[in-house]
Amino acid sequence: MTPVSTAPSEQAGTAPGTTTSAIASARGLEKTYGKGGTAVRALAGVDVDFARGEFTAIMGPSGSGKSTLMHCMAGLDTPTAGTVVVDGLTVSSMSQRQLTKLRRTQLGFIFQAFNLVPTLTAAENITLPLDIARKPVDQAHLAAVVKAVGLADRLGHRPSELSGGQQQRVACARALVSRPSVVFADEPTGNLDSTSSREVLSFLRTSVDELGQSVVMVTHDPVAASHAHRVLFLADGEIVAEVTQPTPDSVLEVLSSLSRQAL
Amino acid sequence: MLRVALRNVRAHLVRLGLSILAVVLGVSFVSGTFSLREMLSSTFTGIVDAGYQADAYLRGAEGGTHTTQEGASAGDVRTPVPAALAETAAALDEVDHAFADVTGPIVVVGEDGTAVTSAAGAPSFALAWYADDPTLTLTEGRAPSGADEFALETASAESTGLDVGDTTTLVVGGQITEATLTGIADMGTALAGATVVLLDPETATEVYAPDGLVESVSVYAAAGVSETELVALLDDALAAEGTAGVETVTGDALRTEARTDIESQLGFVETFLLVFAGISLFVGGFIIANTFAMTVRQRQREFALLRAVGASPLQVFASILVQAAVVGLVGGALGVAGGLGLVTALKALFESMGMDLAGDVPVTTQMVVVSLVVGLVVSVVSAALPARRAALVPPVEAMRDESPGQARSLRVRGVLGLVVAGAGTGAVVAAVVRAAGDDAASTGPLLGAGAVGVVLGVLLLAPVMARAVLGVLAAPFVLALKPVGRLARGNVTRNPRRTASTASALMIGMALVGAASVLAASTQASLSSSIRSEAIADLVVQSATFVVPAGAVTEIGELPEVGAVDTVTVGRATITEAGQAQDADAASATEPSYVVGLTDGTFGRSLTGPTIDGDVDTLTDGMLAVRTDEADENGWAVGDELTLTSQSGTVTAPVGAVIDSETLGTPVVMSEDLLLVIEPKAQEQVETVLLTAADGVDVADLKEAVTGAAAPYVILTVLDEDEFVSQIAAEVDQVLVILYALLALSIVIAILGIVNTLALSVIERTREIGLMRAVGLGRLQLAATITVESVLTAVFGTVVGLGVGVALAAGMPTVFAEVGFNTLVIPWGELALMLGIAVAVGVLAALWPAVRAARLPVLDAVTVD
Repeated sequence: MTPVSTAPSEQAGTAPGTTTSAIASARGLEKTYGKGGTAVRALAGVDVDFARGEFTAIMGPSGSGKSTLMHCMAGLDTPTAGTVVVDGLTVSSMSQRQLTKLRRTQLGFIFQAFNLVPTLTAAENITLPLDIARKPVDQAHLAAVVKAVGLADRLGHRPSELSGGQQQRVACARALVSRPSVVFADEPTGNLDSTSSREVLSFLRTSVDELGQSVVMVTHDPVAASHAHRVLFLADGEIVAEVTQPTPDSVLEVLSSLSRQAL
Repeated sequence: MLRVALRNVRAHLVRLGLSILAVVLGVSFVSGTFSLREMLSSTFTGIVDAGYQADAYLRGAEGGTHTTQEGASAGDVRTPVPAALAETAAALDEVDHAFADVTGPIVVVGEDGTAVTSAAGAPSFALAWYADDPTLTLTEGRAPSGADEFALETASAESTGLDVGDTTTLVVGGQITEATLTGIADMGTALAGATVVLLDPETATEVYAPDGLVESVSVYAAAGVSETELVALLDDALAAEGTAGVETVTGDALRTEARTDIESQLGFVETFLLVFAGISLFVGGFIIANTFAMTVRQRQREFALLRAVGASPLQVFASILVQAAVVGLVGGALGVAGGLGLVTALKALFESMGMDLAGDVPVTTQMVVVSLVVGLVVSVVSAALPARRAALVPPVEAMRDESPGQARSLRVRGVLGLVVAGAGTGAVVAAVVRAAGDDAASTGPLLGAGAVGVVLGVLLLAPVMARAVLGVLAAPFVLALKPVGRLARGNVTRNPRRTASTASALMIGMALVGAASVLAASTQASLSSSIRSEAIADLVVQSATFVVPAGAVTEIGELPEVGAVDTVTVGRATITEAGQAQDADAASATEPSYVVGLTDGTFGRSLTGPTIDGDVDTLTDGMLAVRTDEADENGWAVGDELTLTSQSGTVTAPVGAVIDSETLGTPVVMSEDLLLVIEPKAQEQVETVLLTAADGVDVADLKEAVTGAAAPYVILTVLDEDEFVSQIAAEVDQVLVILYALLALSIVIAILGIVNTLALSVIERTREIGLMRAVGLGRLQLAATITVESVLTAVFGTVVGLGVGVALAAGMPTVFAEVGFNTLVIPWGELALMLGIAVAVGVLAALWPAVRAARLPVLDAVTVD
């Protein structure tokens, strides 16, 4: 399979997906599930860099390895081979204890569903990572984040009293409140209607543009991906294409060309 | 997919495993109780059959209690008949041989130099051994002859460690004798730890039947004469001789009587144990109900699918009950095995304590059937409510993704709980008020019913109270452990029903523990305060056999350090008001009660106590002192004449004083001389000796001298006031320990319940746990969260349980003031200890679920369906 690039890469001369000033990067990343004849190769030697202060989207068909890539980058899954470095720390060689500390201090997470602890209020959910790390809450920062997600009047509510969009915005606020090096978002708008999706995505984009946050998002929605600075395309465990300054149309075009290739 | 499938199987094992275990434990208790009863029953029936082999017995007409144990315990009504009747019987042609049954208490000093006593409380007694007695078979040596020889039953010989030819000390009839073991005889049955000493008939008669009166006469028929014929012939012979007041019974009748007696006593033990087994099963029911409530919730979508494809609610209901039935049957079957194991262990324990029991551990069909049915019923009944709920959920609602917010209202349950608890409290208060108003007659049952009402009401209210109580209990954790405390509080309060029913299991046990500890502490305080105020003697001498040998009393009395010896002697008599003795309607008067005889001058010297009316000094003049409670009850007053009737005689004497004594627990007190009239053997029945030091002798010197004099009697203990009080406290503690041991099982099951709920909720919360781990919650923090949840649940159950128990027990002193229960003591230390235990229990219960949760791989947990 030949890498397809429909837009000129900013870093000419380097492989798609790698940049120089990376907040998170992987080299020769492989992940194989199972053994012997039934082994499934989810990642087939991926080299990738996620730029500091950039919103990167990862796209690809089901089974392309996009979720596995994110899980390995975030230390949720251990790669079979290769290295992962996040903000200068080698994630791939960390112990469970170090990984817990890494997630607590360096990473932010937003999942597709079930993002919030049902017994805690919205405010408590937002500050949960800080509470877990026993770090003091920077009230000014918290207020700024809460204001940005527009939840100031919902802080005392429990997750069951919030709409899906509100829940995801709480999750965004939680991911940002500890000022992580990278925020990993796994299909954050997968369960939302288009209005709520737009709110969540524009909030993520704002956090990158205005707060200098780095965000990596897995999605299958071209519209969602178009909110990113850069879109990486995975297929069969390899990065096969990259689009910068994407629009829904340019993303769709790459996707369709990829599926044509697959045929 | 295989991984998912395997995980499902494992999860199912976890889900149902602990429920099965709960049934196993409860059923083990039930089947063990039946098996133990069967074993004890066959042991004691064996003793009866081996000990009563005669074809007919002659005994006092009034009838008495006939079990082999009676001979040893002093103070029981024995129906004496002339020993000479044996000769009358033997003179008949149809009688092969006949002999007087002479028996009495004895103490044997074993090889190790200490008195042989049974840890299980079995008696030690002597029998006259006639050469033609078929109940005994000589296995070694020869029969004893003369006062300086004795023989032993096989098991007794073993427990004494003596060999034929050894010489040891006996305390026979209150005197110390040196005697030689001449032989060992077998009775052909296990004796449950009783020590049986065999003496030659002359010696035994001299000691135990000096007046020629014996408990009974055994008659053996000649060949070809039936028991009934023999009895008829004996009756004729007695009539011809003009002997009155002697009853003739067939051997069969006596054996049946003895067996019935044993069965009814064992029946009481069985009922007592079954009550505790019932508590354990009730507690186990909570676990099963919780398990099914939780699994049903997890399988909600599965049921919805079934309903959607056409299954009726009844079919869903039935499918869940089938699962419950399997749990019950498997648990019941394992429980039968567990019960047998339990009894086997108990048997070994008893044997190591010198109490040998008959035969193998019995298994009866009835026991197996009852155990299986109990397991089945408990399980199915417990699962019925959750099953009904699952069956009635509309499919559409169940299909919906997450629906945890649909907590059903607790209002109905709250109202019902309030009503039941209110009614219970009302009954308790009414009982207390009526008791305080001196109308104590029917307050006991009222209090009991009220207590049950309060406990049930509180169980119903538990989920309503849960949020508030847990909020308070969790406060220190929330403040001290961030964020663990808050997470744990959220988890225990999110489903108050579940937390409450988990805690309820512990609540029941703890309510009983709380009540028992208050009652025990109050009893100890009541007893010790009455002893301290009433017993003013310097020393108290008591015996391990409950009889202080007469020789010891004399020897101690001769010590120069002793100023005065006062003996407390116990007898039995029926008490009637003079002139009403013939009144057949006076049913209550026909039951004999214990009476006490005191040395003249005991009051004021060794004992004191409030005299309500009259003068205790009139005891010396042959008058009676009556206890104020019985005086009120029967309308006795100073000046009334009472008639005391025993098998040996009748005494009529005026009441000289009404006293209020807790130390002397009998309705009537009299002088020793008066007691001798109705209890000719009174000197052999001294229960307690009270000593006062001679002038100028201090208590320590007195104690040293008395201890020295008592030492050869091996069974005596010499106690000063503090020791006496603490000995009585220790007796109460022993009862408490047994009670705690029986309640321990329900507590163990309650712990399993907490483990069960936590393990299931870990499964249920897998997603949430994954999320929290993903945002940085460490394994230790996760384990700590689950531990705090567990501790909060345990402490909740304990606090509420102890509260209910203590509150109910606090009502009892008023209700039972009549029986000397006059002080309320709340043992705060012990209650604090229980709370500490609850925390430990919580930590223990959390161990496994916490480790399980901490080991969940984060990624699997986050992505689990």
